[in-house]
Amino acid sequence: MCPVALPDEYNQGLNDRKAIYKRYAQAIPGAFAIQKTDKAPCHLACPAGLNVQGYVQMVGQGKYKEALQIIMEDLPLPGVLGRICPHGCEDACRRCEVDQPVAIRDLKRLAADQFDPREIEIPKAAQRDERVAIIGSGPAGLSAAYQLARKGIMSTIFEALPKAGGMLRVGIPDHRLPPDILDLEIEIITNMGVELKTNTPLGTDLTVDDLFEQGFKAVYLALGAHKGITLNVPGEQAEGVRQGVDFLREVNLSGSAPVGKHVAIIGGGNVAIDVARSAVRMGAESVQIIYRRTRAEMPAWEEEIQAAETEAVSLTYLSAPQEILVTDGKVTGLRCIRMELGEPDSSGRRRPVPIPGSEYDFDIDQLIPAIGQRPDLSAIEEVEGLDFTRWSTAEVDPITYATGREGVFAGGDLQTGPWVAIGAIAAGNEAAESMVRYLDGVDMAAGREPIERDDPVYRPVPADEPVAARAKMRELPPEARQGNFNEVELGLGEAEGQAEANRCLNCGYCCECYQCVEACGAGAVTLETHQEHRELLELKVGSVILAPGFTPYDPSGLDFYGYGKHPNVITSMQFERLLSASGPTEGHVVRPSDHMDTKKIAWFQCVGSRDQNRCNNAYCSSVCCMYAIKEAVIAKEHAGDELECAVFFMDMRTYGKDFERYYEGAKAQGIRFLRSKVHTIDAVPGSDDLSIRYVTESGEMQTEVFDMVVLSVGLETSPEVVAMAETLGVGLTPGNFCDTTTFSPVTTSRDGIFVCGAFQAPKDIPQAVVDASASAAAAGELLSSARNTQTRTAEVVPEINVAGDRPRVGVFVCNCGINIAGVVDVPGVRDYAATLPFVEYVTDNMYTCSQDTQDIMTEIIREKRLNRVVVAACTPKTHEPLFQETLINAGLNKYLFEMVNIRNQDSWVHKNNPDIATQKAKDLVRMAINKVALKEPLAETELTVGQSTLVIGGGIAGMTAALSLARQGYDTHLVERTGQLGGQANSLYRTWKGENIQANLAKLVALVKAEKRLQVHLNTQLASVEGFVGNFKTVLKNSDGDTAIEHGVAVVATGAKELEPGEYLYGEDPRVVTSLELDRKMLADDATVNDLNTAVFIQCVGSREPQRPYCSRVCCTHSIESALAIKARNPEADVYILYRDIRTYGERETLYVKAREAGVIFIRYNLENKPQVVRNGERLAVRVTDHVLGLPMEITTDLLTLATAIVPYADAQLSQFFKIPLNDDGFFVEKHAKLGPCEFATDGVFLCGLAHYPKSIDEAISQGKAAASRAVTLLAQEHIFTSGEIASVDPLMCSSCGVCVSICPYSAPSFIEADARMFAGRATINAALCKGCGLCVASCRSGAIHLSGFDNNQIFAMLDAI
Amino acid sequence: MSEWEPKIVAFLCNWCSYGAADLAGVSRMQYPPNIRVILIPCTGRMSPKFALAALRNGADGVWVSG
Repeated sequence: MCPVALPDEYNQGLNDRKAIYKRYAQAIPGAFAIQKTDKAPCHLACPAGLNVQGYVQMVGQGKYKEALQIIMEDLPLPGVLGRICPHGCEDACRRCEVDQPVAIRDLKRLAADQFDPREIEIPKAAQRDERVAIIGSGPAGLSAAYQLARKGIMSTIFEALPKAGGMLRVGIPDHRLPPDILDLEIEIITNMGVELKTNTPLGTDLTVDDLFEQGFKAVYLALGAHKGITLNVPGEQAEGVRQGVDFLREVNLSGSAPVGKHVAIIGGGNVAIDVARSAVRMGAESVQIIYRRTRAEMPAWEEEIQAAETEAVSLTYLSAPQEILVTDGKVTGLRCIRMELGEPDSSGRRRPVPIPGSEYDFDIDQLIPAIGQRPDLSAIEEVEGLDFTRWSTAEVDPITYATGREGVFAGGDLQTGPWVAIGAIAAGNEAAESMVRYLDGVDMAAGREPIERDDPVYRPVPADEPVAARAKMRELPPEARQGNFNEVELGLGEAEGQAEANRCLNCGYCCECYQCVEACGAGAVTLETHQEHRELLELKVGSVILAPGFTPYDPSGLDFYGYGKHPNVITSMQFERLLSASGPTEGHVVRPSDHMDTKKIAWFQCVGSRDQNRCNNAYCSSVCCMYAIKEAVIAKEHAGDELECAVFFMDMRTYGKDFERYYEGAKAQGIRFLRSKVHTIDAVPGSDDLSIRYVTESGEMQTEVFDMVVLSVGLETSPEVVAMAETLGVGLTPGNFCDTTTFSPVTTSRDGIFVCGAFQAPKDIPQAVVDASASAAAAGELLSSARNTQTRTAEVVPEINVAGDRPRVGVFVCNCGINIAGVVDVPGVRDYAATLPFVEYVTDNMYTCSQDTQDIMTEIIREKRLNRVVVAACTPKTHEPLFQETLINAGLNKYLFEMVNIRNQDSWVHKNNPDIATQKAKDLVRMAINKVALKEPLAETELTVGQSTLVIGGGIAGMTAALSLARQGYDTHLVERTGQLGGQANSLYRTWKGENIQANLAKLVALVKAEKRLQVHLNTQLASVEGFVGNFKTVLKNSDGDTAIEHGVAVVATGAKELEPGEYLYGEDPRVVTSLELDRKMLADDATVNDLNTAVFIQCVGSREPQRPYCSRVCCTHSIESALAIKARNPEADVYILYRDIRTYGERETLYVKAREAGVIFIRYNLENKPQVVRNGERLAVRVTDHVLGLPMEITTDLLTLATAIVPYADAQLSQFFKIPLNDDGFFVEKHAKLGPCEFATDGVFLCGLAHYPKSIDEAISQGKAAASRAVTLLAQEHIFTSGEIASVDPLMCSSCGVCVSICPYSAPSFIEADARMFAGRATINAALCKGCGLCVASCRSGAIHLSGFDNNQIFAMLDAI
Repeated sequence: MSEWEPKIVAFLCNWCSYGAADLAGVSRMQYPPNIRVILIPCTGRMSPKFALAALRNGADGVWVSG
């Protein structure tokens, strides 16, 4: 419905969306919004306030009737103004910034040409008794009468002339405004009941007093300005001198007027042009317009001047009449004087000044002055209470148009002097409003003061808006204009008019055509919702969490990539949308220029990242390497294996969990990775392909052609977020990310304000999710005393026992507005359902999900004693919980319900098959009724969540988690297997930000020890674990013996350790150390570190190797930090870092830059050509091949540091205890790699720290807090309910085969203990652990297991009804 | 034969394929109206007995997706 198409931001502008829109299908909230800003400039420029954008859009859609409805809100004469309006709107049109304004006036005319405005239904209020007298039937009088009639107030228009229309009738010649058009549109007004009396002038026979005496309650004076202004030169009384307005009046009323052979016209306005063009038509041989300024100052419209020239009217500029030459009382000639332009006058135009002695004479036989008109006041001069200005215009109140006489109003040219018709229309509208209020006896001025917007906000003019020529109307050929007054402009054709309308830029976004209001069956979009504005709300909060995210880097500024120039150069965000099934191409990988399948794609990394020269983003954006690989892999999945993908990169930074494996997999799939620098992109002439010139690592220039280039754009903080941070007083890093410290990674520089996500630092989804939970925990620690103080408890309706009752099914079929009813025969489905067994009640609803329908459903369930409910509507995925709630409110068990999907899986996908879609809906309803009849009320087991917690592992992550839990009010046991808290941090020297780790660690340990709810168990291990979520029993074992503790949740933070390397002479030479050993030397202030002459670091020792195919994430940053520490001690030392890829992600990149600046030498090596360490006597040396020169070199060194892998403990026993899996590398597997990074699939068990994956201290602290946060969401519930839809064993049938026990991913089934009194050895299922997947049910060879809600008999019942 | 249309019973996993079928609707993709979807909590729930029962009840095809 909505006519306004705008670039779809969600799809990165690759397609269009409407001004009323939902950001994307799954967006939350799942509602539509209307985008609007200030009213469009055309709208504001119109004196009568016509909704120009609205009707232009309607014309663009060919909806002429709707266009007229919009126009006629404010203007009853669309076809008239569509011809003669001087269109101030077009001057305001912002299309001028692109090319030329939209031809708005011509589009208005097109609407009136295409649809008879008399057929427009005009809503009218109930007719009232009061009548109003209107003097003058010009635009002001007509519009006042029209607006009054709409309000139910009838009027009589008194017109002095024989025909109605005022200046529209007698001031504009027929070739511009055909009289039948005017007649037709006046009919619109008279059709409403307005009385029109022509030949009835105000004067001695009819005075204002007479009108009041006749019973009129108000009088509107709209007499116009019909009196020509004289030249005041000698000879003006001669025969052959005629005022322009008088001349035109005669021509318009009688069809002709006396015209000379040689006619001179004085003036520069439209009247002068109209006179000239009329004179030409009536046979004048020469027609000359004389104007005292130049053409640039002429008030007449340019197109009129051109038309006059086309019709052989000559124009003389800078000339003024001095005397009319008269012979025998008749005009025979004219004496003029040349002028020149002097200083600007009060109108801003340069004042014409006569040039002395430049007089000249020429022959004419008719002179028509057309230098202006003024109102003829003779009929109203004497009216009591009326005042006039020195320009003979009426004095009125500027807002109400009331005169000094009560009940008398004035407007139009009478009040303004000669002005445009649309101004008079506006005056009529305003006067009508005043008169209605006057008759109602209310304040006439209230709320009408004009609202000035100094700084209107509009849709920005798109930078890439293509130039499109403005449509021009066809015209009558000049030779066909002779001797007639046929209309010259012939109007726009439909197709060209619609194309013209589509040039509109939609400055206000929404055009307020209100088609959506008409279309909305649910009454959700109304005129009121259209008026909704941004509201300022004041909320009292205890803490603020900032999660404003990032904005993708805009590469338009980097011209050598040609983004915005070559259509096939797109950003990675755009490519994401191309890959998406819900994107503009439904996941087809096509290139934008020709929508052809793509054959060869290149990715360019680090666009807008790691680049201080061209974009000032010194940091690494952290996520681009991985997303580029992912995009290439998915592109190949979508487009087929033939698609060639190449990634041009500097360092490949796949440092996340399982990322390195993915990178290796991508290489194995044939995706090429080119370590290179891209030089230029050029279009290949004659095609849309792109030629890429790049420099390889060894310095060779290469060229290769691709058909599409994806720019892997970086992440930036948007200027709005920077401004917000400033407002909030939150500090930023040099890269404009939120400034935090390593030991408080989600705490901003302002108390109580926390941060998470990409505003904290550029990061991927799992890290952002961790941050989110961590910031929630940080806020929770602050506010734990307020927990549960603002919650509300719902009232519980007692459940009706339906066990054993015959099924009484109620079927509710939803129309979903027209979403379902537009395709499926809903009443047919409803009536069909009524014929099915057990069905007691059927109905259909417009919107079954609406609140009032829910209330009605509750009533019906009670009243009809229904005990099973079927809703045929949208999808259970979104709406089942809502309807189940309704069942609960009606006292029914919520499982006595079945939902039928007749929208998402029927009406929406079978639009063109309404009959078959209806049949399908009936089938599905039948199946659901069969099933629901067999459904039983199910109980949800209530579990108490034990309020104490266990944290396993006393490193940084574990301590953080334990501290957070304790601070949030939960008794916490922290178990550490060694005798010391702190874990690996005990060996660490400084963070990359330069913070002292030992000092901070000591602080953390002190806090842990001081926390009274926190009990630390050192030198302690777990002996056994029993139970499940909320109810764990764990036995702790230490030298004092065993202690059993009960806890509701457990946090696993068991950490990892440094690999002990078996290469590079480690262990054979004391000068070969690991990273942690070097840190310990630095902590001990070891003298050997202080006077090193040479130091070498080897990266990836044990990492990214076939036996350990993961990146240890922290080692690059760590080695660079250590290298800088060595340089700080001895700036003269030679420090080498031998690496494979430097992975200093985020703002760690700045440390890498600093190291290079400090002279640290980086040499890259390959896995195939690893460095060699040799010892020759006392000399220790490293041999490596220089990656640039390709030559071997040998470095003699005093110290060799091995950046060894981080290896997990791979604690199989713990894995067994809590049913938590380990991956191939020995790290624990979280619930969901992206969305559940700090919890396990096993409920009640959480994860943080190195046991999850290698990570830095700040990341470990975030995850520690996050694990605590996730745990608290469970603990705070105190009681949880398991689902009713779970499996259960019939022990009589069980054959003890054990398949269920071995197959269940959640360890829910177990054998009944051998010494049990009954069913020993048979299977039983723990309801708390069962997830209801049904795997055991399907695999039970004895048929002993049942799954409530999806049991065999229920599914068979559905199948019986297919 | 040209009039014959197969009836296919589709067993869709609640967590993936059923949601995907919903999304196909949201995206207004059009496909033939021959399938009758039965929601199952997981394809692990799928039993050969269901496929046989579907065919016995007149289905021309059985589709399991998850």
